[in-house]
Amino acid sequence: MGYVAVTAGEEIIERAADLFEKQRLDGDAETLSVVQLEGQLERLTAQAASEGGLYAPRLAALAVKQAQGDTVEASFLLRAYRSTLERWDETVTVDHGELFATRRVSPAYKDVPGGQLLGPTKDYTQRLLDFDLEAEDGREGEPDDPTAEWDVADEDPETVTNVMAILREEGLVEEPAAVGETEPSDTTRTPVTHPAGRDEVLQELARGETGALTALGYSALRGYGQVHPTLAEVRVGRLPVKIEHPYTGEVVTVTDVEVSESEAVVPVYAKRDDPQFAFGYGLTFGRNERKAIAMTILDASIQLDGRDEPAENPEFVLDVIDGMDSFGFIEHLKLPHYVTFQSILDRIRSIRERTLEGDGGANSGSDPAPTEVETDD
Amino acid sequence: MTETDRPETTPTDAVDSALESLSDDGLEGYNYAYLDEHTKREVRRSILKAIAVPGHQVPYASRPMPLARGWGTGGIQASLSILGPEDTFKVIDQGADESVNAANIRRLATETAGVETTTDTTDADVIQTRHRIPEEVVTDDQILVLQVPITDALRTVDSSDAANRRRHAHKNYGKMWVHLYENVVEWGEINIAARYPTMVAGRYLMDPSPIPRWDVPKLDDADALFVFAAGREARIYAVPPHTAVEPLAFEDRSFQVERFPDQACDVCGSTDTYLTEVDDASESAGSTGSRGGIDGSGGSRGGIDDDGGSDAAETETGSDAGDDGRRYVCNDTSFCHKRRSNPDLPRDHHLDRDDVDWGPGTTAADRGGEST
Repeated sequence: MGYVAVTAGEEIIERAADLFEKQRLDGDAETLSVVQLEGQLERLTAQAASEGGLYAPRLAALAVKQAQGDTVEASFLLRAYRSTLERWDETVTVDHGELFATRRVSPAYKDVPGGQLLGPTKDYTQRLLDFDLEAEDGREGEPDDPTAEWDVADEDPETVTNVMAILREEGLVEEPAAVGETEPSDTTRTPVTHPAGRDEVLQELARGETGALTALGYSALRGYGQVHPTLAEVRVGRLPVKIEHPYTGEVVTVTDVEVSESEAVVPVYAKRDDPQFAFGYGLTFGRNERKAIAMTILDASIQLDGRDEPAENPEFVLDVIDGMDSFGFIEHLKLPHYVTFQSILDRIRSIRERTLEGDGGANSGSDPAPTEVETDD
Repeated sequence: MTETDRPETTPTDAVDSALESLSDDGLEGYNYAYLDEHTKREVRRSILKAIAVPGHQVPYASRPMPLARGWGTGGIQASLSILGPEDTFKVIDQGADESVNAANIRRLATETAGVETTTDTTDADVIQTRHRIPEEVVTDDQILVLQVPITDALRTVDSSDAANRRRHAHKNYGKMWVHLYENVVEWGEINIAARYPTMVAGRYLMDPSPIPRWDVPKLDDADALFVFAAGREARIYAVPPHTAVEPLAFEDRSFQVERFPDQACDVCGSTDTYLTEVDDASESAGSTGSRGGIDGSGGSRGGIDDDGGSDAAETETGSDAGDDGRRYVCNDTSFCHKRRSNPDLPRDHHLDRDDVDWGPGTTAADRGGEST
């Protein structure tokens, strides 16, 4: 004896998963390769890597393919995988001056040492649909390289001086309180409790969902907050990853990661006698300037530790910023809720019965306000 | 050396063979019970701490699981941390074993921890549940793991976790009492359906997870250990056996469980179990493709799948719809199944003792068919 239904439940799950997979394969188009995704939809894979907190471009591409382009689902796959990996070591703190920049713009100054490097960007072009791209499909041979005719001098690139360094030299920037020489916390291994340290805040922001960061960062600019920063610079490039060699103890570079970085000053003066700019920082895996800038705004806002504006309340920001948490809980509403709903029905019927009978305790019958029953599950 | 002479412990120099022997257990490439040993130890320590301080929320480093957060990731971390290969595991979602999400959680445990699974409450060593405590009495040999969406009863009155932690530290529950009072003023009674704020051991206010009020009295002075685990909110708390658990209420506005006046289960005829309403119009014939109720019942009546066609109980009471055309069925499908062949089966039938206090319908005051 047993439940036939138990087996049926599992069969149904499998069939639903099969149908989802079939969606990807439906139609006449050739299947996308992971290599194509990694190379041609880098923004998408970078977002998955950033929100997944795992820098592994090929795996990120695989996750995007498996999730059929859903970035939160893709980063969820990466996180679930990441949590089964052993944490070997901590990297040595790296000077961000070592970033090999492919793009650097400084809105704060017209001329900066090293110059403005626009790099690869669409920022300054008109957003017109390029119908030529459609004609690209199925064309024979390699696509034309638009930079083939360029005459690029083969010399070492100039060193770009960090704009913040200039401001710091002048003593214009208030440094955030140092975390100290203790080991950095790891919010994937230790739960965040409030008040959260700045290292924890930055980690959570760096893994936060791009849309959520953008919305909350925008809220500060839109008037729900005091922070309207001046970006010292926005940079994209490759940052070396260094560890201490386990045998020799020397610092060695093992690889590099592509990151987007943003730094800003905010004209909010902490001290009256010595006015200094407040400072905000943003760093994210891959090319995602929007997220890096939004993170900068939120870092600066959270340091104000206000309670009135959403973006300045660290607890609020950290509670809602994580894509894994918000996606999971929003979508869990699809699960059956008939037990709790029955409980709600019991309450509302009880109150209605009493109200209609006219002996409802206090102000029965006179209050037309809708009945709200609590369950919040 | 024969097979039987082989020492139980693996020699330290045979790491490779040790790893090889491990790889046969459960999901290929993953540790036993999915989580690494360090994590399982951390979760177990958190559970021990939670048992030591009943009702207190213990933070732990909730790991990302291969299930979405909000779908039982806390419960499954607790379950996988305490399950051993000899254990039998039961998973229910809203009272039903066959819910698709329960099936998914059960499959993760089977594949990674190699445990036996059961739908029989009395056979399970560990029962993971979402929003219900089974109708059959859970014993001191069993652990009930409840999935928790919101860890703090005070969240209703203050969204700030930092502020609420201070309130718990000071046992300052004034704001909740005011909330309940305002409820009474506005509605004439306390208008909380599930997730009923509950005092544990006279010290900590606890969110019992969204179990119906019906199940809250079962927590009081129970034989079993209740572990509450939240994945998204990274907290574990517990009600150890024989702990006083008391729902908040006023002297003149007492705590009330859900009422099912004059209703009986449409399938087994029970009048002393938690029932849920079924809309007749929603019934569809059979399950084809991936179509089925989200409780995995394939559209069969009330989520109970019949393994022998229509039986007597169903035929007898099948047309006996309620006054408003509403039909009610047992929510605990496993117990309902037993009651169909044995309608008088008491909820403590598997125990040596009789008249075990296990919530509505079993307390001395309730006995004698009095509906609560």
